[in-house]
Formats: sequence, structure tokens, C-alpha cells
Amino acid sequence: MPMKGRFPLRRTLQYLSQGDVVFKSSVKVMTVNYNTAGELSEGARKFVFFNIPQIQYKNPWVQIMLFRNMTPSPFLRFYLDNGEQVLVDVEDKTNKEITEHVKKILGKSKEMLEKEERERKKLSHPATFGPKKYHLRECMCEIEGQVPCPAFVPLPKEMRGKYKAAMRNEA
Amino acid sequence: AAMLPALRRCRPGPVPLPALAAALGPGPFPGLCPGWSPRTVPARGRKTRHDPPAKSKAGRVKLPPPVDPEELLVVLERYRQHRLVLSALRAEFRAEVLQRKREERLAAEGSVEEQEEHRRLMAWNDEENARQQARREERARKEEEEQKRKKLEIAEKQARKMEAFLEEKEKEVLQLQEEAKNFITPENLEARIQECLDNPRNYNFAIDKDGRIVKRTVLS
Repeated sequence: MPMKGRFPLRRTLQYLSQGDVVFKSSVKVMTVNYNTAGELSEGARKFVFFNIPQIQYKNPWVQIMLFRNMTPSPFLRFYLDNGEQVLVDVEDKTNKEITEHVKKILGKSKEMLEKEERERKKLSHPATFGPKKYHLRECMCEIEGQVPCPAFVPLPKEMRGKYKAAMRNEA
Repeated sequence: AAMLPALRRCRPGPVPLPALAAALGPGPFPGLCPGWSPRTVPARGRKTRHDPPAKSKAGRVKLPPPVDPEELLVVLERYRQHRLVLSALRAEFRAEVLQRKREERLAAEGSVEEQEEHRRLMAWNDEENARQQARREERARKEEEEQKRKKLEIAEKQARKMEAFLEEKEKEVLQLQEEAKNFITPENLEARIQECLDNPRNYNFAIDKDGRIVKRTVLS
């Protein structure tokens, strides 16, 4: 079978891109201390299982470390680049609440994300043609309604250079 | 002698240069692609690379074009300076662009409102932690109470059990005491035997098929 793990849905791109926690650029390390047993740690366990892949996908440059069964109660700790540490107590919280909390205190707001998106779009012009890596289209023949690529559909002879040259020579 | 490596090519001798088509190839082309274009034609002609050269070329010594040493020195020096200046300019511009980007990023993130916002959010986080702490203490207190209550209950149950047990034992003791009055001791042994002999008890009885018991029978 091609599916791996208990919840292979967590590995799909669609699921990962649905994560909405994008950290501010000052957050460098995220540490999660939780327990593998106990009712109070249930939310933290679910958070680690379901939401951390989404967070890591959206923040590939943030280091995430998990510590199991080291403390009696679960908590999150964020290390910012100015040396500040942010402690978040997650005992007796569901994983949804935890993500909401984290998004509120250290996530980029929606306006900021949209602004960044707009900045990124400004760098490239959508009307230019060129390699697929940098532009949307390579040739005019890709667009519907335009003359199709002569590699697939031969041009009518009136548009071909050899016909035109022959006509000109004849005349 | 201490000659420039470029001048070494000019001295005569059986030192043919190995570069032939390889040097001609990437000339008009910007990259080092091995494909032949209409501008570059292979100089091989009729023979393949595996054919031996002709007998007329047996003693041929191919010399590179002659180079004027002073002109070469001057040209090399000029090129060196030009390249030095160009690379310095490029590095300068690169550093300037990076600096500008860094400043812009810092301005976007290190502004006063951002810091204020950050402080506010941290304060909110601390409040949340305090609330969580309160909840946790509440829970711990409740659990302690629960524990105490349970312990008390258990102790009470135990006490009750003990009491019941003791009562049972008391009752038994009393009953025994009561029975002890009727015991046969060595003193009243004779009297009891005499009593039994005087009052013969008849343990016989008759029962019929209907279940009626008749106790008054004849004693023999």
C-alpha cells in the first residue's frame, strides 16, 4: 500500500497548506513539552500529532523540538531572536484552542500575509513571456484563440515565409 | 627564466599545443556548449579523429601567433585593473542592495507599533497563563478534597464494620453465657444424670404418607 502511517492525510499537500499559523520572522525555535499519557495532556498530544506538520510546512526555517514525559504538565516555549522566551501553558486545552492561542500571540496577521503576497506578486509581471520558472507562459501559441504552435498544426501557406518569398519572386 | 606563462607559448620547439578544436569551439559562443552552430564549423574536414595525419605533415611544427611582450604586459595590466574595478563596483552595489533590504525589513518589523503590539500580546499571554494557573490550582484543590472525602468515607466504613463485628461477638458471648447456665459440670453431674433417668424422653414419632407427625407414641 502507498499510504504510510496512522493518518496519511497529514502528509497530503492540501492538508498541510491548510495550516494558517505563519510565525513572525523573530520566532526561531519552538519547543513542545508534553506527556504521552494523561487526560490533561490530550490536547497537547493532538496538537503535536495534527497541527505541528502544518506549522512546520508553513515555517520551514523554524526549529521545532518535542520533549516527552519530562515535566508533569504540558507547555510550549518559543525562543525569539532577541533572546526573549515566551511560555504558553497548554494543560487542559484542546488542540484547536492551542493553535488559536499561538496564532494570536506569535502569528502573522491576515493583513500582513496579504501585504506580503501583494509584494511578491509585484516582483513579477504576469503579462511577460519566458521560461516557465519565471513567467506564466512561454509562447503566444499556448493561449487559446491565438495561432496554434506550428510544431503541432502547420501554418497555412499564406503565412509561411517560403510561400511569400516565392510569390514575391514570381511577381 | 621568469617568464609569464603566456609568453612560454612563443618559444620555438616541439611543444605543439593540444588545444585545437576545443579552443575554437567556445569562441563565438557565450557558454561552453559542445554543439556546433552555423557560426562555428568543425575544422576536421574529410578525416575522422581516428585517422592518422598525412605523411606531408610529419615534420610540421605548429606555432601559436607571435606575441609582443611589452604589448602583452600592458594589455594584461589594463585588463587586471579593469576587472578589479568592475568586481569592486559589483560588490559595492550588492552590499548596498543588501543593506537597503535589511533596513527595510527592520523598519517594517522593529517599528514602535509593532513593539507595542508585541508587548500587548505578551501581556495577554501572561494573563492567559495566570488564568490557566488558577484553573489548575482549582483542580488540584478539588482533587485534594475529593481524596480527603474518600479517605474519610473509607475510615468510616471500616469503623462501622468493626463495630458490627464487635456487636456480633458480644452477642455470641452473651448467648454462650446464657447457655453456660445449663452446662453439666462435675458438681451437678450426678444430679443431672438422676434427672435424666427420672424423666425419660421419648424421641420416637410416627409419620404417615400425608405428612402428619404423631409424637405421642408408646415408650418401651
